[in-house]
Amino acid sequence: MIQTNITIFQTSVVEEEVHMTIVELCQAASTPADQIMSWVAEGVLSPAGSSPQDWRFSGNSLRRARLAAALTKDLDLNTPGVALALDLLEEIAELRARMQRSNLL
Amino acid sequence: MKFQDYYETLGVARTATQDEIKQSYRKLARKYHPDVSKEAGAEERFKQVGEAFAVLKDPEKRAAYDQMGSQWKSGQDFTPPPDWNAGFEFNDGNYGGDQSEFFESLFGRQARGGQRQQRRSANMNFKGQDHHAKIMIDLNDAFQGAKRSISLQMPTYDSNGNLVAQERKLDVTIPKGIRAGQNLRLAGQGGPGMGEGGAGDLYLEIAFHPHPLYRVDGRDIYMDLPLTPWEAALGASVTVPTPDGPVAMNIPANSSGGRKLRLKGRGIPGKEAGDLYAVLTITLPPADSEAHKEAYSNFAKAFDFNPRT
Repeated sequence: MIQTNITIFQTSVVEEEVHMTIVELCQAASTPADQIMSWVAEGVLSPAGSSPQDWRFSGNSLRRARLAAALTKDLDLNTPGVALALDLLEEIAELRARMQRSNLL
Repeated sequence: MKFQDYYETLGVARTATQDEIKQSYRKLARKYHPDVSKEAGAEERFKQVGEAFAVLKDPEKRAAYDQMGSQWKSGQDFTPPPDWNAGFEFNDGNYGGDQSEFFESLFGRQARGGQRQQRRSANMNFKGQDHHAKIMIDLNDAFQGAKRSISLQMPTYDSNGNLVAQERKLDVTIPKGIRAGQNLRLAGQGGPGMGEGGAGDLYLEIAFHPHPLYRVDGRDIYMDLPLTPWEAALGASVTVPTPDGPVAMNIPANSSGGRKLRLKGRGIPGKEAGDLYAVLTITLPPADSEAHKEAYSNFAKAFDFNPRT
């Protein structure tokens, strides 16, 4: 086992401070560009900008892209299946949050 | 090392067809997928199921596994017999996840063979891989900001190109106002790059330790505030313990249970600070003495009240 100690002062909150190009999102989500484009076409991700070169993905896209990549790989889902799963997961999260607010969980 | 019964893991008979194995795997993978399931231990089950499927879907591996015989039970101490795999060849060497010791002793470790780091070369420039990890922090850290020392284990290559575990201790600044599910990006702290390509980034996904009093919903905090019946009926000023310290709160007269009272801006701080909601609950004192029983009877006499009409 090798041990190293590193001190970091520079962190940024992805969801608030970071916008990504398609190249950066591919890198961060370990996903090929054509896969990202198919998710945009299906509405799984909604970047600002009109063409792939101009696309700017918000920080939230990273979480969605990683989730979409995991579901695609692990469950062999196709693009519409991923889109449906993400919508349903979001709805479940919203319902759970509502129950939690009333202390029903 | 413990024996693992891959047929049992997938819930299929040893005589199951490839289609049956695949079907059972898919069903369990959907059930235990860590992004889908909220069940405790789902991630562990998901890995076990994936490992079992990696062996049983492959006719060569399945045949080798079957050759060890059916007398083994899950959890039994086990050492692979010598030459157990003679005549079988597994050369893919990359199973893309962390496997059990049992699996590794039979089919080899992830990324062993063929996946050594390439020599640095002037015309090969790749940015290093981005890494992702989850960290748990206290809700208080989001209110005050904090410095946290975290340790991560990552596979890395030593100077001979062998895969070794590396432990890295990182001192990370947790910014005030961070919320659960958000990611911190630590530039250049991911995998090493190649040639002129820089190192990848490290992303840390934030989660809060559960809190006995507070429930967190995005920026907002919810808490139960127990009241006596007379406080709820007559109104009162009570002290509410907020994460920023105690705050006096006015309870309006005739408040009912379940009512939410908002303390604006007392949630997680930030440009748009969240709110704190006190959810009123009314607690009845037990009638466990003559005096208390009499008080309840007087209470009944004073009202002409039937909640069932």
